[in-house]
Amino acid sequence: MLKYILWRFFSGSLVILGVIVIVFFIFHVLPGNPVDSLLGRDKSEETRQRIMHEYRFDRPVYEQLVLYLNDLSPVSVHWHVEKNRKKFDYIELMPIGDDKMLVAKLPYLGYSISRGRRVIDILLEDIEGTLWLASAAMLFASVVGIGMGMVGALNQGSRLDKMILTVSVLGISTPSFITAILVQLLFAYYWADWTGLELQGSLVIKTEYGREYHFKNLILPALTLGMRPMSIIMQLMRSSLIEVMSQDYIRTAHAKGVPKHLIILKHALKNALNPVITAVTGWLASLMAGAFFVEFIFKYRGLGFDTMQAVSDKDFPIVMGSTIVVASFFVLVNIVVDVLYAYLDPRIKLR
Amino acid sequence: MATGKEEIPLLSVEDLKVCFETKHGQVTAVENISFQVKKRETIGIVGESGSGKSVTALATMRLIPPPGRIEQGKILFDSPSLGRVDITRLSREEMRMLRGGEIAMIFQDPMTSLNPVFTCGNQVMEALLLHNPELSFSQARKRTLEMFDKVKLPHPENIFRAYPHEISGGQKQRVMIAMALSCNPSLLIADEPTTALDVTVQHRILELFQELRDQIDTSILFVSHDLGVIGEVADHLLVMYNGKIVEQGATWDIFSSPQHPYTKGLLACRPRLDIKLKVLPVISDFMDTDANGNVTDRQENKFKSVGQALLLNFQSKDEIIARQESLLAQEPLIKVRNLQVHFPLKKNWLGKVTCVQKAVDGVSFEIYPGETLGLVGASGCGKTTLGRAILNLVEHVSGEVYYKHRNILKMPKRELRELRREIQIIFQDPYSSLNPRMTIGEAIMEPMRFHNLHESDKKRKEVAIDLLETVNLSSVHFNRFPHEFSGGQRQRVSIARTLALQPRFIICDESVSALDVSVQAQVLNLLNQLKDKFKLTYIFISHDLSVVKFISDRILVMKEGKLVECGFAEDIYEHPKNDYTRKLIQSIPKGTLEDVRRAMLRRKMRK
Repeated sequence: MLKYILWRFFSGSLVILGVIVIVFFIFHVLPGNPVDSLLGRDKSEETRQRIMHEYRFDRPVYEQLVLYLNDLSPVSVHWHVEKNRKKFDYIELMPIGDDKMLVAKLPYLGYSISRGRRVIDILLEDIEGTLWLASAAMLFASVVGIGMGMVGALNQGSRLDKMILTVSVLGISTPSFITAILVQLLFAYYWADWTGLELQGSLVIKTEYGREYHFKNLILPALTLGMRPMSIIMQLMRSSLIEVMSQDYIRTAHAKGVPKHLIILKHALKNALNPVITAVTGWLASLMAGAFFVEFIFKYRGLGFDTMQAVSDKDFPIVMGSTIVVASFFVLVNIVVDVLYAYLDPRIKLR
Repeated sequence: MATGKEEIPLLSVEDLKVCFETKHGQVTAVENISFQVKKRETIGIVGESGSGKSVTALATMRLIPPPGRIEQGKILFDSPSLGRVDITRLSREEMRMLRGGEIAMIFQDPMTSLNPVFTCGNQVMEALLLHNPELSFSQARKRTLEMFDKVKLPHPENIFRAYPHEISGGQKQRVMIAMALSCNPSLLIADEPTTALDVTVQHRILELFQELRDQIDTSILFVSHDLGVIGEVADHLLVMYNGKIVEQGATWDIFSSPQHPYTKGLLACRPRLDIKLKVLPVISDFMDTDANGNVTDRQENKFKSVGQALLLNFQSKDEIIARQESLLAQEPLIKVRNLQVHFPLKKNWLGKVTCVQKAVDGVSFEIYPGETLGLVGASGCGKTTLGRAILNLVEHVSGEVYYKHRNILKMPKRELRELRREIQIIFQDPYSSLNPRMTIGEAIMEPMRFHNLHESDKKRKEVAIDLLETVNLSSVHFNRFPHEFSGGQRQRVSIARTLALQPRFIICDESVSALDVSVQAQVLNLLNQLKDKFKLTYIFISHDLSVVKFISDRILVMKEGKLVECGFAEDIYEHPKNDYTRKLIQSIPKGTLEDVRRAMLRRKMRK
């Protein structure tokens, strides 16, 4: 088991490495001059030279890549000078040669000129909002989806079941921009007095007294984002539970005299959840993509919102950084899901 | 038993009727079912698929799956806790108390009847804790381990912790039995408990049943399609046909002098081990069904009794020997030399195979033209793989297979395709081997078209209808779809499709295993007729030794990928040389009078 997890982490880091290399080439090798976009207002030759040097555009591509990887690696080697100490904010591990140092640090993703901050700091701040949003959406989708799916399966063919099916079909087929607008209109406009929700807003708002959490701003984005996964889970759960309930071992449980609620909650659910969990991996991808979009519509500060802004500001370090962060997030979630899957179904051996 | 005093039966079913609600109205599954189970008695229900035997058993537990329901009748049960109750009228909660506690059930397929996500121990303990709330966790655990010991599971501690997929089929069925018996039920219902198991495993489970019924005070309702199995365990028999009980009585009486024509047919159509028959008697030799589905005795009886049916068909020793000699005088049709199929199990990181599963491990034999070569062995012994390897249908094959002096395994693709016309396979499952969206006629014509046989579709259709008639179907079936046919008819369609390519050599891979005994007899007879008519050669793969004995000239016995014995069918059955073969033969429930008598005696002795 442990060997398997270590192996998954190893292969996962290879995936991340691949993503990094691709991202690097997309931004550095493709036509178009990044320096121009980094210049901002000050277009003097002197600044141009400084940026060329700072971003190592004056060096060969392979060197740039190696140095970029060195920047990203949590354990790396740097010139031990005051400027680097400030730039990377590292912890010294051991000196190498006279003037170099092996250091531990947060991955250095570059510096955003337009915001005047390190990209990693911006992203770390952003990711909190996105994680809250994604978790809330997932929680909503799983709880409601599994619940409704079970209700549908256990009352198969009834009016309630047909209603649940209709809702899920609508949920799957409605594009999220329409869901977003409908949700905004209904809950934050027509029923605003009653719900007390606002059209747009962030979870974390910085004031002079520190960070404030506005959890009510989480509700509508999470609802919008969770709508589609909820519908998918609902249908999967329904069909999977219907199938499991007709299995021989459920009949065995009846013959043993197990009460009905225990048959459903203990014997059937654990079996029925397997395909649902598999699907979770699948739609996590669209969940992250959707989060970008939903954050933008609700002006909800998170990874997506800032990335979208960075795109329009042509702030490439942020776009690159967030791509890498999202990829790493994916790899991590996939590992967690696989381990969970093996826990639910002992027939699956992790090897 | 006959003490004179009238004993209250443990279970008495009176005029039971079960119906299923379908789109086309109500369908009656069973009707007029009345029988009694006395204390410490084993009642056997025997019948073929669709006879309603399982429905009867499930009705006793009120476990009939919807849309089925008990339409009328009483099921009176002498419950230790509730007194004499009518099961059809109990509340859901009372019913739940009875289930597992006082009436327990064992199902047919142990592979699917245990919940895959809980350990075996956990599942047995659950039943114990449900019905004995006063038990502590550790007491329940102790009882479970005792039960595992009682059903002779090796290393109870390990089984307790194991998940169902980690133990063998026979062990799973033992876990099921332990689970059913854990709460000391008064009545145990066993619905085909050995059908899904190998012969030797079945034998051991049946032995376990016989031992347990002497140790515990449980009555058993034993449902099976196999008369041989039921003859060994039951005191009393119910024979069911078409939802009704056609005959009931003491096991001995039914075996020695069956009254109903269906029972006679059922007894006669089982392939036997002791004598070689030319043609298997079939049920229609004994009975007719009239327009209303009622069974009538056949007027111009071909056979008067079971014994006569066998006598008239008996093949003499001289006939057998003459045939054996003429077979071996020929040049072999197929020569198999050192055939190996090694499936890679593990590979190292360079992709080099480090561990193999030897599915077929160095097998050599010959097949002579016109013979039927039987291939038997327990499930997983590699017999199916061997059959496919001969046709070069599996990967990782090595060795040589000569068909008419050409090595099949080294043949170019085009020649191989041509050859596959001459060598055909009939598969086990007649339900899944026909495309449900293709008419029977299309299914038979398709291979002919593919191999460009006959000049036009018109001619092909004629041939197809001809073939349907050969397998005792008719031209009206040409445009029908597979779901309109019964299992036996479908298997006959499969055979017709196989014959469409005018093969010389056919591999029958468990071709009759999914069929009822009576249908099995028809298909086996058909295969024999076709062999003579078209000069075919068969490899007949089966786990059922009595079937193989009936149809084969020579038999190969396989175990773990190797041939352990090879010889003429009669020699192998009469003088098996290998221990494994001997064990296989001894395990078959023979269902002869001699065996029934011995089983009855054994039971009397123990009492």
